[in-house]
Amino acid sequence: MEEIVLGIGITALAGALATVAGAAEDTESDIGSQGDPNSQVQLAPQMGYIHRIFNKAVSGEPPAYGLWCAIGAGVAWAFLQLNYNPALAIILGSIVAVFIQGIYCTSGYLGRTASLAKFKQPVYIDILKSLTSVTMAHAFVAIFCTTAVCYLMSAALHHPFALPLLGLIWGIALGAAGSASGNPFYGKERQYQNQKFGAGVPISASGNIVRYAEAGQRSSLDNGWFTTKFAGPASGICFGLIVFLELWRTVLFEESLAGWGAVIAGIVLILIFTFIDRWIEVWGRKTYGPYTEPEESSS
Amino acid sequence: MSALGGKAAGGDGINMTGTIVGIVIILVSIGITAVLGASLIVPLIGIIIGGALIAFGVHFVPVGGAPAAMGQAPGIATGVAMLAAGAGLAGLFGGAWAYETTGDFLISIIGGAVGGGLMMAITCLMVNATYVFAMGIPAASGKIAKDPITGDTFPEYKSQGTEGHGLPFISFVGGVIGGLIAGLGGTIIYIELLDAYSTGLATIMQAEATAIQPLAISLAGIFAIGFFLVNAVLAAYNITGTIEGPHDPKFKRVPRAVIGCAVASAFCGLISLLLVTNIGM
Repeated sequence: MEEIVLGIGITALAGALATVAGAAEDTESDIGSQGDPNSQVQLAPQMGYIHRIFNKAVSGEPPAYGLWCAIGAGVAWAFLQLNYNPALAIILGSIVAVFIQGIYCTSGYLGRTASLAKFKQPVYIDILKSLTSVTMAHAFVAIFCTTAVCYLMSAALHHPFALPLLGLIWGIALGAAGSASGNPFYGKERQYQNQKFGAGVPISASGNIVRYAEAGQRSSLDNGWFTTKFAGPASGICFGLIVFLELWRTVLFEESLAGWGAVIAGIVLILIFTFIDRWIEVWGRKTYGPYTEPEESSS
Repeated sequence: MSALGGKAAGGDGINMTGTIVGIVIILVSIGITAVLGASLIVPLIGIIIGGALIAFGVHFVPVGGAPAAMGQAPGIATGVAMLAAGAGLAGLFGGAWAYETTGDFLISIIGGAVGGGLMMAITCLMVNATYVFAMGIPAASGKIAKDPITGDTFPEYKSQGTEGHGLPFISFVGGVIGGLIAGLGGTIIYIELLDAYSTGLATIMQAEATAIQPLAISLAGIFAIGFFLVNAVLAAYNITGTIEGPHDPKFKRVPRAVIGCAVASAFCGLISLLLVTNIGM
């Protein structure tokens, strides 16, 4: 019984850390323009729209975070073998990982922007100086929290996988959750803020991203400010729920019904999420109505 | 025809010559494994089945890539291989844990499947929550006029100049099924490799099975992730960009991916099992 109570406590802590990790990951990817919406940042100068948005997209978010979290967890594991304090080991591992992330950011921005030279897109050194450290700071939070979650799974919940392997698995899952929940909000809602609300961006508008702010040109920091209002927390909830419920169903129900308890709990959770999704879909259709309706009523 | 990239090249059919060459590679891989150690045939066949399942599962996952991030196409706004890997590895995490705790093959593989399905259910739910609550865009498919499960119609909800947006219910169900099947395949590969390594490494290194267990688990885990990525990337090549789910015409290409991934898994499986074969070196 005591072990289950401890397991639930660890599960709650891991879920909370994962929530912070998801929010930080999405904010990093929006300020650094890491995910799929960066295709528009890369496309804009080719369509004649010169901008001051950070442009890195080292790779897709899942493999990028898989690499960084695996490095963080791997270095932390090495320090743990040297009998370092776990908190210190995780911090040192995350610092090493975040410096590698910074190197990728720098070469990503310089390489991608330099490739746009013939479209007259300048390399802004001030952007590199001011934004790289911001993305590194957010990446540190994401890597630290994910590595800490992996440490809890390994040391407290006794998952059979080694810490670096858990770092790779949950890093990829973190990137997948963050890009799935956060990308549409950054891509449609922020980059194409000049398009109609409540409709997808017409393909003909591709590349015409918003480049000006209230005063002067828009910076990627403005994008981070905007996306933390929804995309960051949504990504955090997504990754937090994944980690929390995956651990929760195993810790609480693994022993019951000869091992089938966790399976049944998982199926019930999937059904609950299916009903919620359907409710959201129907709510959206009823509330917003068909696309053509507003035009008819206004004419 | 797609307004984004034109008609996808490559067609949906199966190349007979390629298939025959693939089957020969599978048979040769099984033959070499049988010569090196008859007890390794079952793990290799498990790996081939697991690889084929991953390929099958990846095709169910609704992936919209970059166009989905602008609300220009339905699906989840990330890459096919990456999302499938995220779901499948979450399943592998659960399956490996269940195998450690219960030691039961059936419970573990189903536990792995449910882990993958749960990850996809939460992710798909959050995608729809973002589209509906933050962007005010209802889900609409670009490939079909009516949802085969709910009967919802889509053309009137689709924004002008796009191929649809969001995740219709059929895509949500496809995502969950994809996560289930991919998690199942990944866990089968892990357990087969773990069994082969646990006994094989103990024999080769002349050590106690319990002492060798951490090494066997780590090796099986790393190889299982590798297999997952190989199969997910191959399936992504077959999909070429984006897919809405089981209702998408591209879904008809599944047999080709299943054959391709079975061949790749057979050959990679042979390489991974060479670790525990005593070939006199």
